[in-house]
Amino acid sequence: MKRMRLLALFAVLALVFAACTTGGDDDPGTTVASDTTQVDPGGEGDNGDGDGASGAILDAVLDRGSVRCGVNDVLPGFGTVDEAGDYAGFDIDFCRAVAAGVLGDPDAVEFVPLTADARFTALQGGEIDVLIRNTTWTATRDGQEGATFLKTIFFDGQGMMVPASTGFTELEDLADATICVLSGTTTELNLTAVFNARGIPFNPSVFADNEQLQPAYESGQCEAWTSDASQLASGKASIEEAGGEEQFIMAEIFSKEPLGPAVPDGDAAWAQAVEWSVMAPIQAWEFGLTAADVGSYDGEDPNVLNFVGADGFDPGLGLSPDMNVTIVEAVGNYQEIFERHIVPIGLQLEGSPNDLWSNGGIMYVPPYR
Amino acid sequence: MTAVENRPAPVLSTTPVEWVRERLFPNVASSIVTLLLLPVLIYVGYRAVLFVAVNGRWEVVTRNLTLFMQGTFPRDEQWRIVAQIMCMAFALGVGASTAASAAADRAREAGLPVARQQPLEVVRRFWPLIAFVLVLLYFASTVTPWLVVLGTLALFLLGTAARFLTASFRNVGWLLMALSVIAGFQVVSGTTGRSWVAAAVVVLIALWTSVGLEGLDRLPRLAARVGLSVLAAAIVFGVYTLIPLSGVGWDRWSGLHLTLWVSALAIVLSFPLGLLLALARRSTLPALRMLSTGYIELIRGVPLITLLFMGQYILGFMLPAGSNPSSITRAIAAITLFTAAYVAEIVRGGLQSLPYGQTEAAQALGLPPAKSMRLIILPQALRAVIPAMVGQFISLFKDTSLLYILAINEFLGVRSLVHAQPDFRSVAHAETLVFVAFGYWAFAYAMSRESQRLERRLRVGI
Amino acid sequence: MTSQQSDSRVRPPFWRDARVLRVVGQVIAVVVVFLLLRWLFANLVDNSRRTGISLDFGFLNRPTQFQIPNHDEFDPRSPVWQMVLVGVKNTLLASVFGVILAAVVGLVVGIARLSKNWLAAKLAAAYVEFFRNIPPLVIIVFFAFAVFLYGPLPNLRESIEIGFPGTDHNVFVLSLEQWGMPSLADAGNLAAFGLFLAFGLVIAVLVWRWRTRVNDQTGAPHHRVLWALGVLAVLLLVGYVVLGEPFRITWPTLGENRRRLVDGFAINAGFISVAGALGLYTASHVAEIVRGSILAISTGQSEAANALALNGFQRYRFVILPQALRIALPPLINQCLNLVKNTSLAAAVGYSEITNLTQASIGNGRPAVPSIVILMGVYLSFSLIISFMLNVVNRRMQLAT
Repeated sequence: MKRMRLLALFAVLALVFAACTTGGDDDPGTTVASDTTQVDPGGEGDNGDGDGASGAILDAVLDRGSVRCGVNDVLPGFGTVDEAGDYAGFDIDFCRAVAAGVLGDPDAVEFVPLTADARFTALQGGEIDVLIRNTTWTATRDGQEGATFLKTIFFDGQGMMVPASTGFTELEDLADATICVLSGTTTELNLTAVFNARGIPFNPSVFADNEQLQPAYESGQCEAWTSDASQLASGKASIEEAGGEEQFIMAEIFSKEPLGPAVPDGDAAWAQAVEWSVMAPIQAWEFGLTAADVGSYDGEDPNVLNFVGADGFDPGLGLSPDMNVTIVEAVGNYQEIFERHIVPIGLQLEGSPNDLWSNGGIMYVPPYR
Repeated sequence: MTAVENRPAPVLSTTPVEWVRERLFPNVASSIVTLLLLPVLIYVGYRAVLFVAVNGRWEVVTRNLTLFMQGTFPRDEQWRIVAQIMCMAFALGVGASTAASAAADRAREAGLPVARQQPLEVVRRFWPLIAFVLVLLYFASTVTPWLVVLGTLALFLLGTAARFLTASFRNVGWLLMALSVIAGFQVVSGTTGRSWVAAAVVVLIALWTSVGLEGLDRLPRLAARVGLSVLAAAIVFGVYTLIPLSGVGWDRWSGLHLTLWVSALAIVLSFPLGLLLALARRSTLPALRMLSTGYIELIRGVPLITLLFMGQYILGFMLPAGSNPSSITRAIAAITLFTAAYVAEIVRGGLQSLPYGQTEAAQALGLPPAKSMRLIILPQALRAVIPAMVGQFISLFKDTSLLYILAINEFLGVRSLVHAQPDFRSVAHAETLVFVAFGYWAFAYAMSRESQRLERRLRVGI
Repeated sequence: MTSQQSDSRVRPPFWRDARVLRVVGQVIAVVVVFLLLRWLFANLVDNSRRTGISLDFGFLNRPTQFQIPNHDEFDPRSPVWQMVLVGVKNTLLASVFGVILAAVVGLVVGIARLSKNWLAAKLAAAYVEFFRNIPPLVIIVFFAFAVFLYGPLPNLRESIEIGFPGTDHNVFVLSLEQWGMPSLADAGNLAAFGLFLAFGLVIAVLVWRWRTRVNDQTGAPHHRVLWALGVLAVLLLVGYVVLGEPFRITWPTLGENRRRLVDGFAINAGFISVAGALGLYTASHVAEIVRGSILAISTGQSEAANALALNGFQRYRFVILPQALRIALPPLINQCLNLVKNTSLAAAVGYSEITNLTQASIGNGRPAVPSIVILMGVYLSFSLIISFMLNVVNRRMQLAT
C-alpha cells in the first residue's frame, strides 16, 4: 500500500535522527558528557584565553575513552593512509603517544583528517582535542587562532627546490618565476614576505595539497617548489625514485618552522597532560631507553627511575605513574620514531636541529622530577 | 476508371551500403561532417583503448581497491559492510517483487495483460552498474569480492520469493523491506542509543494498519492507537536491549560506501523538508509564505560549497559548547538543507501545473485541506515532477564529491590518500582519476536511464 | 427565518475559528523561527567570546599578506577588501567566458543530436551522457590534467610563439601556465575612446530601431544589422581620427628572463581550465534543454517551413529556433546561474576566484564567520542580479496570454 511505503520512509527518517546520537560512540546515547565539559563562559574574558574550567577536556577524554587527534592524511612521513586503511606517520605516532599517556592505550585515538585551512577552526570548535598536524608555532596562531602551542617536536625550516638541470642556487635566480606553494600555510606568507623584502618579483601557484602540487611541479608548470624542508626532501626522493628529473634543494633556509602539537586555549591541565606525553619519547631517547628495554630498566639513576615510574612516582599531572613506560613501549623513543618515518623520506637525524642538545641539536626537554 | 490493384507494401529493409549512404552521406554538408568526425573518433578511440588496455598502470587501483570502496573504515569490521550489502540486497529483492506483484494485481483487476520482466531486460536496464561491478571484480585481488557479489545475487533472489505472497499479505512484504533496510543500516552503525526508535515506528505502522481500527469511534480509536504505540515501543525496545550491538558510527565511514550513504540520507531527509517548504510557499498565510520564500531564494542563490563551508566553520560555533557534531553530520545537514530548497521549487512547479479544478472538486466532496492534499493533490503533483526530482537527486549524488574539499575522504577524496603513499606519489594520477570518474558515471548514468524510463512510462515531462 | 439570520452571525468558538487560527498560527511560526535564530546567534556570540575569535568586519582593512597568483599588480600589503574585489572580478570573468562557451557548444550539440547524420547524432548523445553524469569537480581536474599537466604544451620559458610570418611580434603565445594574446593599451585617450564607443552603441541601437520601424511601415528590407554595424564603425573611425590614436595594440612578448608575458593580455591555465571545463559541462545540460525545446515545437511548424521551400538552415533560423528559445529561456537562465555557482570549485586548479581567495584568507588567520558571510553575500548578489536581468528579458519574450 502506498501508505505503508510513505510511512516506511518516515521510519527511516526517525532512524536517521536516532542514529545521529550513536555516531561514533560506543556509550549508549551520550555525545560528549555535557555536564563536565560545559566550558564556563562566565567572566568578561576578552583576552581570548577563556575561563574554561581547567581539566574539562581531560575529563571529557577520559569519559569518552578516546583522544580525537587532528592530523594530516596526505603528507608522506608525517601522516598517510596505507592500502590497509591504517594511518601511519611521525605525527600519527605522537597522537598515539598522547593516547597512551592519557588513556593507557595507544590505539584509543580517533584520527580526524583536516585541511590546512580548517585546522584551527576544528580546534576552536572542539571537534578535536589536540592538533598534531605539522603545524608551525607563530604568535598570530597563539593569539588570534585560539590555540596554545606545546613543545616543538620537529624543528623545520622553509626551503626552495628546483630541478637540478636549471642550475639555480639562490633565491634571486627566481625573479619573476612561478613558484608552487600550498594554500593556508605559513609557507605562503613567508614566501611573500621574504621575496617582497628582497625586492624579488615572483608569481605563486597555489594548491590545496601536495597531491595537486606535485604533478604541476613535475610537468614544469612551476619552476620551483617551496615548502618545509622535510616536505621538499620527501618530494625530491619520490620524484627521483619514480625516474623523474634530479632535484636540487637550495642551501638557504629562509624561515623557521617549529612544528608541534597545539591544544585549545584555556585548559592548562589538558595542555600539560599532552605536553608531558609528547616529551616522553624525547626523554627516553636522552636516557638511551628504547621500546624494547624501557620496561625492564634495573639501574640506579634516580632520574630514570622517576621517568619509568618506579616506586609509584607521580608528579600530579592527573595521569598514571607508568605513563612514560606505556608511551615508549607503544611508539618507541624519538630516534626510533624519526628513523621509522622521517629517514625514509630523506632526512637525517644527526647534524640536524632535531638532534639531542648533547649532540649539537636543540632537542631539549625539562627533567621529569 | 479501372480500379487500382492492391500492391504489396514496399519492403523497408536497407542493405548496409544503403544504410551508410542514407545515414552518413545523405547530402554534401552531412558528408563533410562525417568525414571530419570519423577520423577524430577513430583517433580518440585508439588512444583510449591504448590507455586502458596497454599503457595504464592499473595496479594502483588493484592494490588500493578496498581503500576506494571503504576508505579508512576499520578493516576488522569489514563484515559489517558485507552484512549491510546483503541486507540491502534482500530488501531490494523483497521491495521489487512486492511492487511488481502489486502492479500485477492492479493490472489483473483492470483486465490488462501482465508483463513480466525478463532477466535479459534487467541486464539491459542496468548495464552501467553491472559494468562497474565487473570492473571492480576485475581489479579484485582476493576472492572475497566474488563471494560478496554471489551472496548479493543469492539474497536478491531470495527476496524475490516475496512475489508468492498473496494480496492480503502484501504489507508483510513492505514491512520486511523496511526492517531489512533498518537492519542494514544498524548492523554498521550499531544498535545503541536511541536507534530503536526507527524500528519501533515501522512496527507501529504495521500494527496500526493491520488491526482494523476504522469501525471504532473517535476516542476508542485514539486510545487503541496509543495502546498499540506503547506496545510496539515496548516490544522493539525489549528486543534491542537483549541484543546490544556496538557499531562504527558514520563519522568513521569513508570511500564509496560514504558517498552512497551520504547521497541516500540526504535524499531521504531533504524530500519531506522540501515538501513542507513548497506547501508553505504556496500557503495563503503571508508569514509562512515569506519565511519559506526567503529561505528558498537564499539557499538557491549560493553554491553548495559555501554552505559546506558554513557547516564546517560556523555551525560548530552556533551550537552550545560541548556538542560537537562530526564533520560528516554537518556535511549531511548542509547538503540536506541545500537540496530541500531545490526540491521545494520542483514540487511547487508540480503543484502549479495541477489544474485548480482538482482542489475545487476535493472541496466539493467535503474533504478537509489536509486530506485533500494527501489524497488528491500531492499524488498527482508529485507524479508529474518525478523526472525533475530524480534529476535533482542525481545532482546531489555528484555533489557529494565536494566533500573532498573539506578533507572528508569519500570516493574522490580517497584519491588523495592513494597518491600520498610512497609508491604512487608521482605516478598513475590519470588512472585513479579515470577510475573515480567511471564510478560516478556508472551510478549517475544508471539513475538517469531509470529516470528516462520512468518518464516514458508515465508519459510526463518534455 | 429569524433564527437562521441570527445564526449566521454566530461565530464558532475561537479554538476552532479559522480566522483566529490563521493569525495565531502565523504568529507562532514567526516567533519560533525568531527564537531559533536568536538562540543560534547567541551561541555564536558566546563561543566567539570564549575562544577569542572576532565577529566584526574590521579585518577588511588590514593587509592581505599573501600574493594572489597571476596578479603581478596586486600588492600583498593592500587591504583585504581589494582582494575581495579581485576575487569577484575573476569569478565574473570565468563565468562570462564559461557561459559563452556553454551556449555555443550546447547549441551545436543539441542540434547535432537531432540531425539525420547517424554519426553526429550518436556522438552528440555520447557527449551529453558523458559530461552530464560526471561531477563538475572531476571534470575540472580532468581538463587541467589533459590540457595542461599531461598535455602537449611546453612551459613558459619555451612557449610556442605564433606570429605573422612577416612581422617580428607574436600574435599568440602558448604555454603550460599562461596563454598570451593581443590587447589594447592606452596611448593617451583610451577613456575618451570608451565614451565614443558607448555613444556609438546608443546610436547603433537607435538606428536598429529606426530600420525596424521602416520595415514595419513600408515593407522594405531592413538590413538593420548592416546599418547598425556600419554606423558604429563610422563613429568609431571618426573617434579614432579625432582623438588621434587613443590606443595601440600590444602584442604578447616574453620578458627578458622569459618568465613573464609583458604586454598583451595573458590568461592563466587555471582560468582556462575552469572556464573551459565548466563550459563543456554546462554545454551538456544546455544541449538537453535545446533538444527538448526543439522537440516541443509541433511538427506542423517544420512541415509549413518545408512547404514554403525554406532549406534546413533557414528553417532553423527563422521558424524553429525563435520559438524554441522562448521555451528554453527559463531553464537556460537556471544553467547560467549554475555555472556561476560552479566556478566556486576553482580551488582544485588554483584559480583565484572569490571562494578560493576566501579559503586562503581564512587559512591565513582571517576570521571565518565574517569572511563566509561576505562570500555568501557575493554569490547571492550575482544570483539575484542575473535572475532579475534575465527575467526581464524573459518577460518581454513571452507571448501575451
